[in-house]
Amino acid sequence: MQLTIDKRSVVARKGEYLLEVAQRNGIEIPALCHHPAVEPWGGCRLCMVEITHPDWKGWTGLVTACLYPVQDGLIVSTDTKKVHQVRAGVLDLLLARCPGSSLIQNLARQYGIEETSFTPRKAPDLCILCGLCIRICEKIGASAISSIGRGVEKLVSVPYETVATAACVGCLSCANICPTGAIAFSESEHCRTIWSRNFELVRCEECKAVIGTPEQLEHFARRSGLDRSYFTKCDSCRNREAAARFVRVTF
Amino acid sequence: MTLPRAPLQQILTKYPPKESSLIMVLQDVQDAYRHLPLELLVEVAKALEVPKAKVIAVATFYKAFSLEPKGEVEIRVCRGTACHVRGGLLIMDEFKRLLGIEEGETTSDGKYTLEAVNCVGTCAMAPVVVVNDTYYGSMTVNKLNRILRATKSSKTADAAREETE
Repeated sequence: MQLTIDKRSVVARKGEYLLEVAQRNGIEIPALCHHPAVEPWGGCRLCMVEITHPDWKGWTGLVTACLYPVQDGLIVSTDTKKVHQVRAGVLDLLLARCPGSSLIQNLARQYGIEETSFTPRKAPDLCILCGLCIRICEKIGASAISSIGRGVEKLVSVPYETVATAACVGCLSCANICPTGAIAFSESEHCRTIWSRNFELVRCEECKAVIGTPEQLEHFARRSGLDRSYFTKCDSCRNREAAARFVRVTF
Repeated sequence: MTLPRAPLQQILTKYPPKESSLIMVLQDVQDAYRHLPLELLVEVAKALEVPKAKVIAVATFYKAFSLEPKGEVEIRVCRGTACHVRGGLLIMDEFKRLLGIEEGETTSDGKYTLEAVNCVGTCAMAPVVVVNDTYYGSMTVNKLNRILRATKSSKTADAAREETE
């Protein structure tokens, strides 16, 4: 089907969401809680766009691009005054929540906000509660972290540390997917620490690069149905090996 | 501390063992044990095949659930708009004085828990106090003692309400 995004005609498949289509066509829409690895969520409200349709008799609507399914003939505007206003509102609030985040500062500046008009949070961390870490952890099949509480007290954590951290495999997916870098971890020669738990490190048999924690590799082997021995080398060493084998076979 | 497991086992047999039963199970556990103890949450997670983290997220999200043991008698003072303008704050202050506890606390003998709630949906009866599942409307400061007396003796909820009217 055909739709128009910012006066450009683009092609989309049924079932796709506006944000994916825009991104594929190089049209930028800011989004904080979106990641292709997890289901769209519509939590950050930053990807708001204005839509209309020739059949809608002039009606326009503001929707989250990440959750709005494409429709034939839809006319999408990603940079109207209204869109600018709602995004600025969201960023003003986010800046009050996380005044120290350079990502939020930069985004806010793009929308003309240097300083939040609200009272900044006392003792702020970098978490914007986008839920990406929780969703990726669930997707991976560990479900070790969750949101605790509600409202202003809501936070992301391993509830009841001793019990729930047992589910953590130390894969760092949560820390890597976090848009603001709010999840702290550290890695030394032999030890990785995340969510106050220490993990051993497994290194590549060949190049000695870190490939993960024993728990993580065990988990991935179980989930993928591959043999545990598959996870003894790092990706690049495995690729090099496979390439060498192909060379022998094909030439 | 080990808790009796029989009530939990009985609750778990009432619902299909899947994620959508979670809130119902937690409600029943809250009723039976007056709080959601960690050791039981872990068992609920196992029985329903839901990740522990998710069970804990739900348990901490809803106001109806409590991780700390609540008193035998739960007193909820409404401070919705209607109750507020008709003196809900005074009612709360008097309960605090009578029980010697602050909002959200439980008396040391485990008898009473005092809570403020935002609206119980019976604004016409403002100010409202809910004691366990009994609603007391048009409350005044000097009716509170009678409510407390009624909860001490083992009167039925209806009898207790009659006495305050």
